Amino acid sequence: MLLFRVKVIGHSMEPTLRGNQVVIASSFPYFFGNPSISDVVVLQHEKCIIKRIAKIKENKIFVVGDNISKSTDSRSFGWIDKNKIIGKVIFKI
Amino acid sequence: MFKITEMYYQKSYINFRMNRVLSLISRILPLRVAYAHCDIPCGIYDPNRAQLATHTVIRMTQLLGELSNEDKIKLGHDIARITSVKEEHVDVIEQELGTLEDDYFKEQHFQEFPELKGFFSSALKLSGKVRQNVDIESADLLLENILKISEIFYKTKKLEPVRLKSPYPTQREIVTYK
Repeated sequence: MLLFRVKVIGHSMEPTLRGNQVVIASSFPYFFGNPSISDVVVLQHEKCIIKRIAKIKENKIFVVGDNISKSTDSRSFGWIDKNKIIGKVIFKI
Repeated sequence: MFKITEMYYQKSYINFRMNRVLSLISRILPLRVAYAHCDIPCGIYDPNRAQLATHTVIRMTQLLGELSNEDKIKLGHDIARITSVKEEHVDVIEQELGTLEDDYFKEQHFQEFPELKGFFSSALKLSGKVRQNVDIESADLLLENILKISEIFYKTKKLEPVRLKSPYPTQREIVTYK
């Protein structure tokens, strides 16, 4: 999807994103460029999740939540393929 | 100095208008849900912690109402200590409500109990009110909302909820199950 709204459920991205907050995400930025460290991305991993990119290697990304003590992320489920990214968060409403 | 302040307000106003316009435009975009969970599937959820914290907030509100102003230094000291405990337990209430609403209750629960969303919404508003004020009526209403959430919680577990008089000095009720 080129542009879509995302409702955040849960607290693992606090304080950047609160539970029930709505943000706008887009797949457009990654048509012309690669994901960068610190991008907040929406990705498909079993279900749709929202995390921040912490590390990148070849075609894989390592994502973590900003609320580091209350996040289930790549520290538990490991590296994720870049092609699992659905979009980049481009602004908060 | 005046110009800088004026420019600042103009910029803030433009940002506000831009956000408003973007917010309206964005409503036509498709919406999807993304999870930002601490999703370790421990399955351990319990509304008791929220109930206990609310009883503490009620008790602190009662104690604030009972303070004597004979000794001004002691009065200031007691207000600070009691208010600090009240704040701490409102934090616990908000955290527990967030965990129950976002992590435990699922879409089918909200469909089965359509009033549940309203109880969460009222409880969160009341938690702000009891934080800001010494307001026993709002604290009681907060407890009532949390007891109703607790009853629904036990029903979703196929348990029969029961209201009992609490053994605490608040003289209010708790919800548990048979």
